[in-house]
Amino acid sequence: MRALAEELWKDKPGLIGFVLIVTIVLAAILAPLIAPYDPATQAVVGRLKPPVWMAKGDWAHLLGTDQLGRDILSRLIYGARTSLIVGILVVALAGTFGGTIGLLAGFRGGRTDTILMRLVDIQVAFPGLLLILLIVAVIGPSMVTMIVVLALTNWMIYARVVRGIVLSVRQMPYVEAAEMIGCQQSRVIFRHILPNLTSPLLTLGILEFTNIVLAEAALSFLGLGVQPPATSWGLDVSTGKDYIFVAWWLVTFPGLCISVTVLSINLFANWLRVTTDPQEREKRFARARAATRRRQERRAGVGRETP
Amino acid sequence: MGRFILRRLGQGFLVVLGVSLVVFVAMRVFGDPAKVMLPLSATTEQRAEFEHLIGLDRPLPEQFVTFIGELATLDFGDSLWQRRPAMEVVFERLPNTLMLVGAGLGFAMIMALPLGALAALRPGGIIDRVTVIGGLVGLSTPQFWLGLLLIMLFAVQLRILPTSGIGGVSHLILPALTLALPSMARMVLLVRSQVIDELNQQYVKTARAKGLRFHQVLFGHALRNVMIPFITLAGWEVISALAGYTVVVESVFAWPGLGHTAIQAIQRNDLFLLQAIVFTVAIAIVLVNILLDVIYKFIDPRIKLA
Amino acid sequence: MKLLTGLLTGAVLMTGAALPMTAFAAGDIVIAIGSEPSTLDPQARDDGGERAVNDNIYETLMARTPDGALVPGLAAEAPTKVDDTTWEFKLRPDIAFTNGEPFNADAVVASVERIINPDLKSEQMSYFGTLKGAEKVDDLTVRIITTGPDPILPSRMYWMKMVPPKYASDPKFAEAPVGTGPYMLEAFNRGQDIVIVANPNYRGGKPDIDKVTYRFVGESGTRLSGLVAGEFDVITNLLPEFVDSVPKSATVQGLETSVIILSTENEVTKDPRVRKALNIAIDRQALADSLFGGYALPARGQLVNPKAFGFNEALSVYPYDPEQAKALIKEAGAEGKTINLVGESGRWLKDRELIEAVGQYWSEAGLNVNYQIEEFGQYLTLLFDKENRPDAIFVVNSDELLDADRPISSGYESGSGFASNKDMDMQAKAQAARIETDVAKRKALYDAITQKAFDDNYLAPLLNVQDIYGISERVEWQPRVDAKLIVKEMKVTE
Repeated sequence: MRALAEELWKDKPGLIGFVLIVTIVLAAILAPLIAPYDPATQAVVGRLKPPVWMAKGDWAHLLGTDQLGRDILSRLIYGARTSLIVGILVVALAGTFGGTIGLLAGFRGGRTDTILMRLVDIQVAFPGLLLILLIVAVIGPSMVTMIVVLALTNWMIYARVVRGIVLSVRQMPYVEAAEMIGCQQSRVIFRHILPNLTSPLLTLGILEFTNIVLAEAALSFLGLGVQPPATSWGLDVSTGKDYIFVAWWLVTFPGLCISVTVLSINLFANWLRVTTDPQEREKRFARARAATRRRQERRAGVGRETP
Repeated sequence: MGRFILRRLGQGFLVVLGVSLVVFVAMRVFGDPAKVMLPLSATTEQRAEFEHLIGLDRPLPEQFVTFIGELATLDFGDSLWQRRPAMEVVFERLPNTLMLVGAGLGFAMIMALPLGALAALRPGGIIDRVTVIGGLVGLSTPQFWLGLLLIMLFAVQLRILPTSGIGGVSHLILPALTLALPSMARMVLLVRSQVIDELNQQYVKTARAKGLRFHQVLFGHALRNVMIPFITLAGWEVISALAGYTVVVESVFAWPGLGHTAIQAIQRNDLFLLQAIVFTVAIAIVLVNILLDVIYKFIDPRIKLA
Repeated sequence: MKLLTGLLTGAVLMTGAALPMTAFAAGDIVIAIGSEPSTLDPQARDDGGERAVNDNIYETLMARTPDGALVPGLAAEAPTKVDDTTWEFKLRPDIAFTNGEPFNADAVVASVERIINPDLKSEQMSYFGTLKGAEKVDDLTVRIITTGPDPILPSRMYWMKMVPPKYASDPKFAEAPVGTGPYMLEAFNRGQDIVIVANPNYRGGKPDIDKVTYRFVGESGTRLSGLVAGEFDVITNLLPEFVDSVPKSATVQGLETSVIILSTENEVTKDPRVRKALNIAIDRQALADSLFGGYALPARGQLVNPKAFGFNEALSVYPYDPEQAKALIKEAGAEGKTINLVGESGRWLKDRELIEAVGQYWSEAGLNVNYQIEEFGQYLTLLFDKENRPDAIFVVNSDELLDADRPISSGYESGSGFASNKDMDMQAKAQAARIETDVAKRKALYDAITQKAFDDNYLAPLLNVQDIYGISERVEWQPRVDAKLIVKEMKVTE
């Protein structure tokens, strides 16, 4: 654990990402405590106030107010909740379902495998987002609809990854041996296969999480996701875009929040992937050595043909 | 080759069948088309007439058979909004979407290869770092937001490009760029890591030792091996753009393609038109997938088409 | 690296080549409209996009001045009443449709019969439900027959566009309209734009502007960007906040009046003192100034539009008196009682803000306000529910025909529209007015109705909202009361 922390300390972008993620998660959890206002409270008189550093801004609303006089900062803090809840639930639902299908296909093999994987192939070729739009249009937009529909359209990748790992793990001598001596399947799954799944599934889940955050924002932007009076960053950009000329802060801040959240997760995931993958670690080491050598050579004045 | 394409067409048929099943279940089992499509003031008789017209009063299995029959003949009914066959509207808007996807992703592909390769030449160097961070920023930016920022900058402040709509090349630049950026970021990162891996392979060192010049190695061997994963990703980008990401870009720029039309259809409760769009895109995706397989074969003859 | 620079140079050149795109021909303008017309058949649908274009291609028997006065259009003079159900129109001579068909009594008969033919399923039938048919008297005289006495038939004829009798049955008619108006269709590029050009043979002379391009832009933010960026010359529905961001703006008293209908039957609101308190607790001038930036006027105690026939000049804005309101609530023993305020969000300009601001005033007067903001479909069900009237429900009435008939039957006549009273005498008066063809008697009936409702506080009229248009530097135009975009009234100054 400590070694990990030290490694993270060395990778500055990864560290920045990690710190930002922790901040966002804390903000989401502690929203009622740290948000200065209720995100839905309107004030007709105090509409479209600019952020504090602008000429007409004041300390009452650090990031200004929107077209209904709602406090932007409070809306951003509560918006983090929406993004994280939708992201976590969708990844959990899709991961569980897809993972189970993958386990089943990898373990049973034969016809079960063929049928399940054919299903995956077929659904991967579906026009995903358009189909989501159609379903939401028919059933009616709400946060629950969005979570369910996003989970139902994003489980396939987990199935593929899990199945691939199960197949390769089962070919390892010790698993083959365990199966041969008649270990129960559940034991094989829990003792030998699940531990091998944790790390790749974690990385995959984190990357998928960023996709879901973006998808939630896009759906809410199109008016088919989170519905007012609930808050969401995508929704705020959508309502703010009509005011872009008089109040740039309405679209800029929520958009920036989406971007920063996804970026920090990506930075962190980038570090995590390299750190948990032995091959990547080797490459990183080699690269660092090469860079040091180049620097030394340059310092020594050794001319080198540049490619 | 012929047999292969036939087989893939068979798979594509399954995909379209799957899509129709999902659409059917969503519309007829979970949803109530009469409620969505008729005005609220509709009388019970009008409602019954409408339900009879689209066959809602018959048993579900029978409805499904009729539904599939209508799809097979590309008969999606009349668009409620435009009051003409939905397919006519779709065929009018499809070229616009294809133009947008072609321009955006074409640009992304052309830019990604040299940028990624350039970054890979010196891993950890300044160009590499900028590229990687830039790439991560690119794929973290929501497209609807990026689009709004580009409109503000290029159309409103600088006034060198139009804000919205369709017309000459100038109208295409901003939406294409918005569509391209996240895809380009993913492609640049892929090319970079692939090229780095290739350049570390033993054969590169051997070739260099034999006296081949660096660019000969790079263009002769390394880049060719990068092409397969690159095409896979590019194909995936085209598909996911078609599958819905143009919706966002098209609505921000009021670009009259299938995606913008889909949103308008939703706003007007025009489920027939929406359904026609979903199927057309499903078929387009099947075709792109087949095309991709053919391209693989073309690039690398060792790949068996099965 | 060379490849990269090459590509970048290419991209820059491409951008450069696209530069001279904002060069317009002098007499051409671009108008951004909110939605693409689904058809250009002028009689089929009730569609704002279609109207915006066809109002310039077609003409009607009656027309309105920019200020809303009803004047003859294709008719030579105001119609005369032959009997209670027959009106006679004299037509202007020597007028032709742009495809050569003459405009005469046959064309009027064909237009009337076409629109009331059930096969057309015209959405405009809500304006023409009283029409029975038309008869030709001679080439330039025609009679229009109604099913019963219909005092506002002349106003109705201002909505019916006259179509060429032969060509109107052509399948191409919906795509390529032909009228008698100042403009002709040049191109209808689906999904892209509509172009109309001046009609050189127009009866009033060739209009000033040669060519108009209509672009379809659904997002109000995008319309605004386009105007600021110099791509559009006229945009509609500008929000008050943006008046300072656009090159020029123009305003006109709009057709819409916002109102809260109070129930005379429900527990709290049946007490006249409470209803009066609700009315005088609202500071309408403050609402107009803060919410609408001054681009709205406090409504003068009625739902009838100030420009419409039947507007009661005797009424004035309810005074703002928070102290008296508090006293009345206390006197009625309603202090702390709950009042349900029903509304919706997003259908009308700043609806939710207005509802919540009014609720705020009512809370200050001592009531407990329960906001019930519903999804639009659910809201409509509540609005038209005859059995259970909400304590208070917000609605915006639009008065296209500029006649008291519609606001009175919607908001005042018991058992009709969204009225929440059980005043049977008022109901009888409203029904009598609908078939009263004597102008003075009809006006007297409406005055009596609005006065009674004002005194008894049946409704709380809020604001007459102004329509704001964004206009480019080079266009000169004064918008119309009826919100029509008549291009021949615009001028390009350059």
